[in-house]
Amino acid sequence: MSATTETHPDPSPPDASEGVEAELGFVGSIGAAFLDIAVAARELYSVFVRTLYYVFRGKRVKGAVLHQMNEIGVKSVAFICITMGFIGMILVYQSGLQAKRVVPDFTMLGATYLELLVRDFAASIGALMLATRVGAGIAAEIGSMVVTEQVDALRMSAADPIDYLVVPRFLASLVMTLALIVIAGTVAFCSGAATAYVFFDVRPDIFFNMQLVDVGDFLTGFTKCMAYGAAIPIVSSWCGLSTFGGSEGVGWATTRAVVNSSLAIIILNFFISAAGFLIFPG
Amino acid sequence: MLAFKNIKKSFGPKQVLNDVSFDVKAGECFFIIGASGVGKSVLIKHLVGLLACDSGEIWLDGEEISRFDEQQMGPVRKKCAMVFQHATLFDSMTCAENVALPLRKHKDMNAKDALAEAKKRLAVVHMQAFADRYPPELGDGMRKRVAIARALTVDPTYVLFDEPTTSLDPVSARRVDTLIRELCDKLGVTSIVVSHDLSSIFSIADRIVMLYKGKVLKIGTPAEFKATDNGIIQQFINGRAEGPMDL
Repeated sequence: MSATTETHPDPSPPDASEGVEAELGFVGSIGAAFLDIAVAARELYSVFVRTLYYVFRGKRVKGAVLHQMNEIGVKSVAFICITMGFIGMILVYQSGLQAKRVVPDFTMLGATYLELLVRDFAASIGALMLATRVGAGIAAEIGSMVVTEQVDALRMSAADPIDYLVVPRFLASLVMTLALIVIAGTVAFCSGAATAYVFFDVRPDIFFNMQLVDVGDFLTGFTKCMAYGAAIPIVSSWCGLSTFGGSEGVGWATTRAVVNSSLAIIILNFFISAAGFLIFPG
Repeated sequence: MLAFKNIKKSFGPKQVLNDVSFDVKAGECFFIIGASGVGKSVLIKHLVGLLACDSGEIWLDGEEISRFDEQQMGPVRKKCAMVFQHATLFDSMTCAENVALPLRKHKDMNAKDALAEAKKRLAVVHMQAFADRYPPELGDGMRKRVAIARALTVDPTYVLFDEPTTSLDPVSARRVDTLIRELCDKLGVTSIVVSHDLSSIFSIADRIVMLYKGKVLKIGTPAEFKATDNGIIQQFINGRAEGPMDL
C-alpha cells in the first residue's frame, strides 16, 4: 500500500466519477457502486485496525482523551437526557394505550418497558442520538483539518492522524457512550414511570419491576453500548479523513458521518440482538 | 540530489501531470512556476508521499521513493520538510507546541526538552516572543514564520515551500524570501519553492522550471527565462492578461 492511500484518498472530484459512470452503462454503474462499497469497507477496516493498534502502541498527548470525553460525553448529557426523556414518555404512553385495549392490566407495563430499555432501546436510541451530535462533530473537525492540510502537516511531523486524532476520540467514546446510555436509560425510565403514573395510575413502585430483566439483557445491552461507542468515532473519523474539496466537502463528510454511523448502529443492533436472543433465549 | 522522472498523475479523468521530468541539484534554490491548477503543489506532495503518482519515479539521494509506504516515508519526511501554503499550524497548540511536535515525533525527544528546543528554533525566525501564543492570535506572516521554524526543527536537507509568500504583505514576503535564500547559502539546504510571486522568483531563484498543461515547458536560470522568446513564458513572467497562454 502506498503512503497516500492509507489516510488520504486522492481528491477525485465528484462530477468526474459521475461522468465515468455515464460511460459504463447500467450494469457497469452497479458494478462501480459495488466496487466503491468494497473500497470504502476496506478503508473503514483499515482505520479500525490501525486504531486498535495505536490504542496499545500509540503515544497519546497528555489530556487528549479527557478533552474528548468532555467534548463527546459531558457536552452531550443535556441533549441525550432531553431526547430520551421525551422518547420514554412517548413509548410508555403508546404502550399503555395498546395494553389498555388488549389486557386492561398495567402491572407488567414497567417490567416489559424496563426489559426493552435495558436490552435494546436505551443503547440503540441513545446511540442514534449520539451519532447525530458526536458523529457530525468528529467528521466536521477532522474534515476541516484535511481540507486545510493540517492532516498532511501531522503526517509530515511523523504524527499518524489515526494515533493523534482518532484514538483519543475512540477511547473517549467507548467510556462516555456507556456512561451516557446508562444516564439516558435512567432518564427514559423515570420519564416513563411519570407518564405511567399520570395517565394510567401505575404507581412508581409497581412500575419499577425487574422481574423480566436478567443477566442476558444486561450483557446484550452492555455489548451494544461498547459496539456503538466504537462504531461512531471510527465511522465518523473515516468520513472526516476521506474528505475532499473545500467547505462543500466538509459538509458532505458530516452528512456521510451521520448517515453511516446511524446505519452502522442499526446493522450492529440487528446482529447483536440476534446473537443475544440465541445465547440468552429467556 | 533529487530527480522526478516521467511523473504522471490523474484525478479521475483529468490528467494533472503528464510525463514531468527534471532534476534539482543539492543546495540550490529551485522554483516551480506555472498557472494555477497546473499541478505544482501536487508535484511536490509526491516527494513526501502525501500523494502517490500513477507512474514514474522519484529519486532522492540515490533511492527510488515513489512506492514507499507510510512507514518508509518517515525518514524521507525527516529529510524533506514542507511548509504548506496556509501555514497549517494546529490551532489547539501554542506556537512552541506546534514547533515541538516534530521534535517529539521525529527525534523522540521528551515534551520538556522539545519545548525548550522549540523556543530556540522560534528565536531563529524572530518569533520567540510569541512562543506561548496560539496561532489564531497571530498574523499571516507570523504564522508562516512559525511554520518555517516547525519545518526546520528536524534539520532537513530539503525544504519544500508551497507558495510561501501568498497572502503576505510585501515586507513580510521579502523577509520570507530572505529566509529561504539564507537556508540555501548558510545551511546548504535545498529549497524547492512553488510560487507565483515574480519578485521572489527573480530575486532568489537559482533555477526555475515552468509547468504548462501538465508538462515541463522550460527549465533554466532566471536570466534564461527573461531572455527566452517563448510567448507563453513571456506572458507569464510579465503578468500579461493577453497572450498565447491557454488557461
